[in-house]
Amino acid sequence: MVILRYILNFLLSLRTTLWLLGLSLMLMFAGAFVMPGRQEFQQLHSMPMFEWIIKQPLEITWWLWGLIGALAVMAVNTLFCSVESIVKKRKVTQWLLLISPQVIHVGFLFILLAHLLSGLGAYQTTAVAHEGSVLQLSPGNTLLKVNNINIKLDYYGYVSDYSVDIEYLADNKVIDHDTIRPNDPSDKTGLNIIVKDLRAYPAAAVLFQIHSEPGAVWALTGGVLFMLGITTLILLKIKMEK
Amino acid sequence: MTILAISFGLYLFSLWKRPLLYGALALQVGYMVSRGAELGRLPLVGPHDTLVFLTASIAAFAVVFGLNLKDRKNFMNAVAIVAAVFTAFAMTSKQHNSPLPPVLKTFWFELHVVLAFMSYALFGIAAVLGGIFLKEQKNDADGLAYRAVLIGYCLFTLSMVFGGIWAYLAWGTYWMWTPKELWTSILWAYYSFYLHARLRPWWAGKPMAYLGIAGFAVVMFTYLGVSLLMKSSHSF
Repeated sequence: MVILRYILNFLLSLRTTLWLLGLSLMLMFAGAFVMPGRQEFQQLHSMPMFEWIIKQPLEITWWLWGLIGALAVMAVNTLFCSVESIVKKRKVTQWLLLISPQVIHVGFLFILLAHLLSGLGAYQTTAVAHEGSVLQLSPGNTLLKVNNINIKLDYYGYVSDYSVDIEYLADNKVIDHDTIRPNDPSDKTGLNIIVKDLRAYPAAAVLFQIHSEPGAVWALTGGVLFMLGITTLILLKIKMEK
Repeated sequence: MTILAISFGLYLFSLWKRPLLYGALALQVGYMVSRGAELGRLPLVGPHDTLVFLTASIAAFAVVFGLNLKDRKNFMNAVAIVAAVFTAFAMTSKQHNSPLPPVLKTFWFELHVVLAFMSYALFGIAAVLGGIFLKEQKNDADGLAYRAVLIGYCLFTLSMVFGGIWAYLAWGTYWMWTPKELWTSILWAYYSFYLHARLRPWWAGKPMAYLGIAGFAVVMFTYLGVSLLMKSSHSF
């Protein structure tokens, strides 16, 4: 019982939050110097983080393991503190002032969830294609066919705009069409397909980058909640001061 | 470049005649408008243009925050020196005049960068106010520093969210394992620490002032250090 109370107090403490934030800062600071010097981190873009981390030596991943641990405890700490705050202050009249920091916390938790999901299932691959090329998208049996590659060059020969017309095929039937442009990827199959690079000569060619990001929706939800919470909090504080 | 040289001089001379700081700020705003008209886009690419934008943002926020200080002389003087130093760096930095790659021609990029530099400017204001608090021990400087960090943190968060959306649309993922992303997270966690620490009495007063000053060092490394020294999508 004493141990349980100790754990509960630990998880409800703002001091715990500060220690965890401080620890996370130190670990990320260390990682910022370990990461640029090691080639192994280049592979981290093309496979799920958890799959990558278990294959790497501890000498380059210790800070990331430590960060994952600190963030896991911080998630529980955030949840406990938010619940306690709502329970303790539930009778206040300014409920928006009570809720907005908790909305920020929920946003933060969603962002952590997004990274967890992406860490477990995100991957990236590349493929070169020409007009008429057909690519197999995996997982599944959907095919991607490149119909047109339109490249606009400026006076100096730089690419100023482009569009790539594609269609998705399954069982030899066209199931969907799409056009990929700058900042306008194709995500009709659950995969996010962007144009990484293009070449106009000798024959038009395109380098696709194909991403799977299971955490993207959660990251967006978390980001929006965080923005809403903090904007509301600031507006309320300004209003109170006036 | 002559306009920047004049604004540099005006910032320095504003130590004696404060209205000159407004003149320097007006000149820099004019300079950015003319650069924008010349380039046909927001001038926010590369160290030259971003330093000018950062300087003008610091000066503009200082005018607003200065109104809430009882004695603003030291604050405005410190801001004038910071603005002069950044203007000098901007003058020595190379201009980025070439056309933008298609992926940068989006309002997500503009929002991301504008909000990031406005937040950097507010963190700079908080650092200056922290210094003023340490020197003069006046509570209004401490309260204003907190306000600057809170608004700066909000803008920085918006910038990160917009940056994530843009990255997803442009590069297919909202998170890339590059030094810049990691340093941005360090900066965000640092100011999360600052805002939570303020809720505990132990940190009140001088420790908060020191945190605010150290925070701007993290800002400067995230902005210039990482962009100049490390390879990432944010390299200059």
